[in-house]
Amino acid sequence: MSVRVGEKAPEFTLDAVVKGDFKSVSLKDYRGKWLVLFFYPLDFTFV
Amino acid sequence: MSEFEQRNAAVAAVSTDSKFSHKAWLATPRKKGGIEGCKYPLLADFTKKVSADYGVLQEASGVAVRGLFLINPDGVTEAILVNNLPIGRNVDEVLRLLDAFQEHQKNGVVCPIGWAKGKEAINPAQAAAWFEKHAK
Repeated sequence: MSVRVGEKAPEFTLDAVVKGDFKSVSLKDYRGKWLVLFFYPLDFTFV
Repeated sequence: MSEFEQRNAAVAAVSTDSKFSHKAWLATPRKKGGIEGCKYPLLADFTKKVSADYGVLQEASGVAVRGLFLINPDGVTEAILVNNLPIGRNVDEVLRLLDAFQEHQKNGVVCPIGWAKGKEAINPAQAAAWFEKHAK
């Protein structure tokens, strides 16, 4: 599966670090807001 | 980050690292290559499923390439920018895209090449007038 403009972005729920704490984050959490979701290869590199 | 907040936008970063690696990176000072003080969430796609779903998983290395997805408040993808591994991103371009999509949403106009906030956009019903004024 891949992503296309004009279509719903794939839903996800992932473990995350939010302000220093471990939390679960889902795409749904961002309904009502714009979201800039970006991927990068590895921690300790640049983004 | 306030530039994004002003635009009702959140930022979230994803890699295939574990949440523990994220935590260590967040605790590392900038001068040591860390991102201490970073305010947006770091998501751990440890199973690589989300990276694959978004089409940014590089199979050979098992990491995600530098893909950026601008998702609107209804969960629809509006823009996709993907760079191969060596090249970083440009925050100004992301803000420009946000401005352009929001201008379109608010006023129904479309934003031509090079449009930025403050420039005249095109009213599709009166496109001829725009070209008359701006075309060289």
